Formats: sequence, structure tokens, C-alpha cells
Amino acid sequence: MDLGSLLNALILGVSIASIWLIAALGLTIIYGTAGVINMAHGELIMLGAYSSYMLQFYLGLPYLLCLPASFVVVALVGLALERGLIRYLYSRPLDTLLATYGVSLVLMQGVRLIFGSDPKYLAVPEIFQSNVMLGSVSVSAFRIVVLLVTVLLVLALWLLFYKTRFGVQVRAVMQNKEMAAAFGINSGRIYMLTFALGAGLAGVAGALFGVLAIVLPTMGASYVVQAFLMVVVGGGSLAGSVVASGVTGEMQSVFAFFTNDTLARFIIFVLIVAFLRFRPQGLFAQSGARR
Amino acid sequence: MSGLLEIQRLSKSFDTTKVINDFSMEVVEGTVCCLVGPNGAGKTTTMDLITGRIKPTSGKIIFANEDITAKHEHLIARAGIGRKFQVPAVLRDMSVRQNLEVAYSRQTNPFRNLLKFHKPGLTAKLDEVATLAGLTGRLKERAGILSHGETQWLEIGMVLMQEPRLLLMDEPIAGMTESEIEKTARIFKDLRKSATLLVVEHDMGFVREIADVVVVMHMGSLLAQGSIQEIEADLRVRDVYLGEQEVA
Amino acid sequence: MGNLYHNKIAQWVVYVAFFAALAIIPNMVGDSFLLNQFATYCVYGMLALSISLCWGFGGILNLGQGIAFGLGAYGMAMTMQMQSQTESNPIPPFMLNNSLDYLPLLWQPFQSTLLGLILAVTVPTLFCAAFGGIMFRARVSGPFFAIMTLAMLSAFYTIILDRQAYTGGVNGLTPPSAFQFAGVEVDPYSPTAYWVVLFFLTGATFLAKLITQSSFGLVTQAIRDDSERVRFLGYSVAGYETVIYTISGLIAAVAGCCWVMLVQYVSPAQMDVGFSLSIVIWAAIGGRHSLLGSILGALIIQGAQSYLGDTFLATWLLILGGFFIVVVRFLPNGLASLLEVALGLLARPDPTSSPAPDGGRPLPAE
Repeated sequence: MDLGSLLNALILGVSIASIWLIAALGLTIIYGTAGVINMAHGELIMLGAYSSYMLQFYLGLPYLLCLPASFVVVALVGLALERGLIRYLYSRPLDTLLATYGVSLVLMQGVRLIFGSDPKYLAVPEIFQSNVMLGSVSVSAFRIVVLLVTVLLVLALWLLFYKTRFGVQVRAVMQNKEMAAAFGINSGRIYMLTFALGAGLAGVAGALFGVLAIVLPTMGASYVVQAFLMVVVGGGSLAGSVVASGVTGEMQSVFAFFTNDTLARFIIFVLIVAFLRFRPQGLFAQSGARR
Repeated sequence: MSGLLEIQRLSKSFDTTKVINDFSMEVVEGTVCCLVGPNGAGKTTTMDLITGRIKPTSGKIIFANEDITAKHEHLIARAGIGRKFQVPAVLRDMSVRQNLEVAYSRQTNPFRNLLKFHKPGLTAKLDEVATLAGLTGRLKERAGILSHGETQWLEIGMVLMQEPRLLLMDEPIAGMTESEIEKTARIFKDLRKSATLLVVEHDMGFVREIADVVVVMHMGSLLAQGSIQEIEADLRVRDVYLGEQEVA
Repeated sequence: MGNLYHNKIAQWVVYVAFFAALAIIPNMVGDSFLLNQFATYCVYGMLALSISLCWGFGGILNLGQGIAFGLGAYGMAMTMQMQSQTESNPIPPFMLNNSLDYLPLLWQPFQSTLLGLILAVTVPTLFCAAFGGIMFRARVSGPFFAIMTLAMLSAFYTIILDRQAYTGGVNGLTPPSAFQFAGVEVDPYSPTAYWVVLFFLTGATFLAKLITQSSFGLVTQAIRDDSERVRFLGYSVAGYETVIYTISGLIAAVAGCCWVMLVQYVSPAQMDVGFSLSIVIWAAIGGRHSLLGSILGALIIQGAQSYLGDTFLATWLLILGGFFIVVVRFLPNGLASLLEVALGLLARPDPTSSPAPDGGRPLPAE
């Protein structure tokens, strides 16, 4: 066996992990805080890609500015979604799952009606289109961008949740809504903001995925199951999702090295089911975490 | 006379806190045993341990000369232990009749029940229990709309439908009116003829009325055991328990 | 007078009338393509029925019904494919295209039609029994179980896609000729094919109806209501959940066989997440607590979808998604509950005593 190529696979695994993680970040926040299973997450990612496309196409916004702009646009969509629908369903987890699937259909078909089914492309600066050498591996520069954005977002989220007043409030609501209310924390407002934040993160992911792949109304569907599994395996915490994505990303890359991409995905799905059978609370169960 | 239920040196810890600490007791067949103690003494935890909802850290639970310590909840129930929960647990979306019918669990095998459309002996038993529980006129109602007292009675009725040898009653009279309490006391004393009862209760008046034996728990351990007169005369019990609240 | 909706005799009368009406459709529809379409709607009805049984009555939300359906469909397609292979030409063409020059072990039993049919039904059923047994014993339930079924469905989807030489990969299997049974060819466009499918739909429905009215059904509904409580009554909750999940899987597997008989085609698309979710939508909109409501949900939604055609597909799906959201939010028991409320008003003309549409949840007898 060629050790060099295995090393390449490991380096590639980091990149795969960062893609899986950034797809799962928003979902982690939403599921971890409010216990909402948001099946429309994939479509929020798709909206992120389309908003970048529109900003670029109609306003000529440079690509790097599209990332924060997509965050804002999709966060606003998320905010509307939470106020209009999700907030009525917090006590009914199965119904949120179903209702958000309805939302995903509406978003997907709505975008298809507006933009059509033909693919759109996002333009990126010249420099991101080249390949760079990482050790002995040639990786596309854009994958490095994805990795960097992911790392930055994880850091920012960590700061937000563990170093700010907002973070304290979120964790208080997660542990005990009634107690938090007794301390004057408005849990409804916290849920609303975390949902918007989670949606915004999906927007950023979409702006990135729109470059990695083509922009299509159906592009979100392929991310949602996978992102969910990362969140559930991780147990709904930020650290959990980071570790889960890291491990599965590496496994995907290494299994694919020995077999092929599709078979590797199959093995991972089966391993995840087996893992959750024995540890349904995930890697890092949070205190007071709901399932 | 040996005990129908024997708890031997039972301990249960959650993380590092010992909730039940080396607790032993015995319930003799055909008696009413009351388990009392201040809040947090571990009474409901003991119920959970007996019915298999949680597993003890150490110790044994023997029921009818059979070790039931490591068994699943449904097997313990089948062995003949019925339980009424502290917070009444009835099937709220089903009718009162359906609640009682489900509780009539002589046949528990799913495949046999697939072919069963009529349970022999159900009607007679259901009439008897519904009359006893005063729910005859409410059989068609959805259980979720019953008053608190009625819900208590429905759950007691469900336990009776199970025809268990040992009935565990966790705070059966909470939320009942004075006359309902009297009726409950009467029925519990009647039940002693055919079954054995272990009752967790705060109301000392009720305990005095029904108990053959009183067991006092404190901080997860046995504090005292005896007749109600002995318990009320016990100074340690007065200190930790009766001192806290006026004897009713 | 009680609510007619809950009257068991009235329910049976409606069921019999419904299936009698479906049975005479071939006598009124001359267009054989249309008849074939109607037959496929009956297959979708069977799928909605299986979800109603599992989710509506058992409380187990199964987002991976495509597993049982797909495995059944692949089993049937393999059987039909082997029917058109001969002694001198025993290997299906797509295998040869994938440079497989022998018949793999996996395919050999399908050389016998009877064995093939048996496998097409038993393999998915046994899978459900094993998967459900493992999950329910570990007390995996609610949204968590739903996600596990999604993961499992995705696993099957990817493996079928990957093993191209064995499964035909993304192209799937297209058996060249119609299904033959005991020397008779079942033309998928004939009334016979329609009646065969209707026979299975009717059988499955009456079986399901009997199950819900049995002692088993009562316990299952109790588990949906409060599984923890039922455990302390002496019932093995995992046992009951596994049985209802498996029966539901069996119905879906039969539906899969019927489907391939009608369309002579199967591909990984039948195991796509979207398809399994649409089964749930049919049942939810029709009314998951009602077997007949769920079947009607499938017939109406799929019927409307094909009637509107591809031009309006996006608009239709948009409306469907929106309507689904409304149903989940305001009408958890689907359109069937509107009928229930209406009949309830008839039964009790006094408006003060009738339950509010939202507050008065129905008794789960149906």
C-alpha cells in the first residue's frame, strides 16, 4: 500500500470534513438549542447559493462580500419562517420535522418557478480557481477557502455561545426554559434568534457550495440527511458536530481511497446507524438536551 | 409468614449522590404496607426500582421468591406487580373504557393479540372495576378530560384490571375530596383480601386508616418499621418527619 | 346517537362500498393506459395505507418506507428479468455491459419465479423485523427513529447505486417483457393487472382494519398514546412496535412487487428520500388516523399530479407543500378529521356540546 496516497486521502479528508461541518453548523445550533428538526435546512443552503448568485448577477457584488450578504438574506428568511410557523410547533418535534419538509418543498419549487431548472454558476476570483500544493497533495484553492471559513465560523460560534451574554442566555434556555424565564430570559426571543442564526449559517454554506457544485433548485436535498446525521451523532453540541464531521470526513476519504466514493458513503451510513443504536444521545450529550 | 416482596440491601446512586442507601424492607402477603417519609427520602425511587424503571446500583429485589432485580418493566408487571404513578398516568387520548381494556393484560403476546377480538371475562371484570371506581357513567369519555380525582380513580382501576398480586400506589389520594378519600380507604382495606398493597402516602390520617405496617424512610435508608402506634411513638421518626408537619 | 364516523358497522359499509366502486372501474374505463395509471395509484394507496398503519396507529413515523417498497420492487424486477433470460442466454444484458460474465449468486434464486416472488416479499419483511427489532429494543423512538430510517434509506440508495453490475446502478432494471405467472402473461395494461393490484390493496386494507380492531390494535394505540405507561401494564412495547412496523413493511413490499408488474421498471429513484417523504404526505393530508383517508390522500394527490402534467408540476408541488404545512399546523389528522367533525355535528346538533375542531381530539378507534 502506498503510504503517500493514504496521506493524501487524509488531507483530502480534512477538506471533506469541513464541507460536512459547514453544512451541519446551522442545523447544530437550531437542533441543539430548540430541538427543532429542520428538514428545510438543505433548501436554506440552496437559498444561500441563489442569493449569492443574484447579488453577483444583478448587483455585481464581489464574491467574498456575497458570503456575509447571503448570511443576512437567509437569516431573514429563517426569521420569517420561525415567526410564521416554527414557533407554533416547538412542543411537537415530529410535526416540526414534517412542517419543515413542507417548507423545503415550497422553497425548492418556488425557486424553480422563479429561476427555472437550469443550473446557475457563481463566479469566483481568479486566485481561488487555481490549485495549491498541501504537502504532496494538490488541492483546489477554493477548498482551502471553505476550510478557513468553517474554522472562522466555528470560532465565532464558540465565542458567541461561551463568551457572551447571549450565549449564557441560550444555554440557560436549553437547560431549563421555565427557570430561564424566571430570570427574565425571553425564551421565545432566544429561539427566534438562534433559528435566524442557524439559517444564516446555512446561507453561508450555500454561497460556498454554489462554487463547489452548480447552483440548482434541488441542490439542498443532497445535504440535509448527511448534515442531520452529523448533528445527531454529535449530540447537538458544537463540539459534537465538529468531532462527528471530522471523523466521518476522514472515514469517507479513507474508505473512498480503498473502495470508491459511493461505497464509502454506504459504509458510513451503516456505521452511523450502528453507532446511534448504542449511543442514541450522540457523542457529547448536553445536559438537559432533548431528543 | 414470608414476605411477598423482599427488598434486600438496596442501593442506588445517581452520579455520586446516594439516593437509596442500603435499604431493606419486606411486604407480607395480604397486608397493606405504607411507605412514608419526608420529601426526597427516596420513596418514589424505591417504586421505580421495584418496577424496573431504574436499575439498582446494588442489592436485590425478590418478588414471590423470584429475583426480579434485573428484569424489564413489562416482565415485572407480568410477574404480578401493578403500579399507579405519582403523577397519574392514563392514556389521555383513549376512552375510559379503552384504558381499562388495555390494562386487562392477561394476554400480552402481540401475535396472539392480533387474532383476538374479544377478551373472555373482560366485560364482567370491566363492570366490576368501573363500578368500584365510580366510572360507569364515564366509560365513553376521553380520559384526558377527566377531573384530577377521576383520573386518579381511573389509574387505580387500571391497576385493578391488571389483577396483580402486589399493588404499588404512589400517592393515590392526592387531589381527592374528603368523601373520595374515605371511599378509597374502604376499598383499599377490601383489596387486602385478594391482594397485597404497598402505598406511598403523605396524608398520615389516611395512613392511620389503612396501614397494617408502616415503613419510614429517611435519606434513602430505613428509619423505622412497625404498626402505626409504634411509629407514632418513635422519637426518631418524630424528629425527622412528624416534627416537620403537623400530624393530621 | 353517536358520531357515525366512529360507528364500526358504518365504517365497514363504507370500506366495502369504496372497494366495490374501485372494482368496477375497468368496466367504465376503456383507455388501457389510463387503467394502468389507476392501478399505479392503487399501489400508492397501498403505500399510504402502510404508513397509516405504522404512523397513524402505531405512532412510529417511518420516513424510510422506500426501503421495503424498493426491496420488494427490486425483487420483482429481478424475477421478471430472469423470466426473459433463457438457458442459452442466462445473463441479463446490463450485467454483460458491466463485464460480468456469470450470473451472481444473488441473482440465482430469481431464476425460479416462485422463489423470486417469495424472496421479493420476505427479504424486505425480514429486514423490517430485524431493523425494527434492534431499534425498538434500544428504545429508539419518535423523531429519532425517523432519522434512523432516513439514514438506512440513504444507505440502501447508495449501495444500489454503487453495485451497478448487480443492480443496474442508476439506470435500474427494465425487464423487457410482462410478468408471467403459471404460464399466463399479465399484461400491465389489462383489467387483469388492475384487478390483481386492487385485490392486494383490498386485502391489505381489510387486514389492516382487522388489526386496528383487534386487541393488538388497542395496545398499539395505547403505545402511541403513552408507551411508558403501557410497559408497566405488562406489554413488551418493543415487541408490539416491531410487529406493526414489520406488517407495514410487508404491505409496502407487496406494493413494490405490484408496482414493477405495472411499470416494468425499477431504479434507485424508488428509494429516494423524497419519494418516501411523499408517502408520508399522502397519509398526512388524507388523515393518518384513518386507513381509508390515507388511501384517498394518495389517490387524490397522485391523481391530481398526473392530471396536471409536467407543465404544472412545479406549481403543483409548491401548492402541495404549502397545503401540507397547513395540514400539519392546523389539521393534524388530515382531511378525514373534517368529515369526522362534520358527522359529529350531525350527531349532536347542539353546538355547545360538540367538540371544537381543534380541541376535541378524536377517539383513536378511527
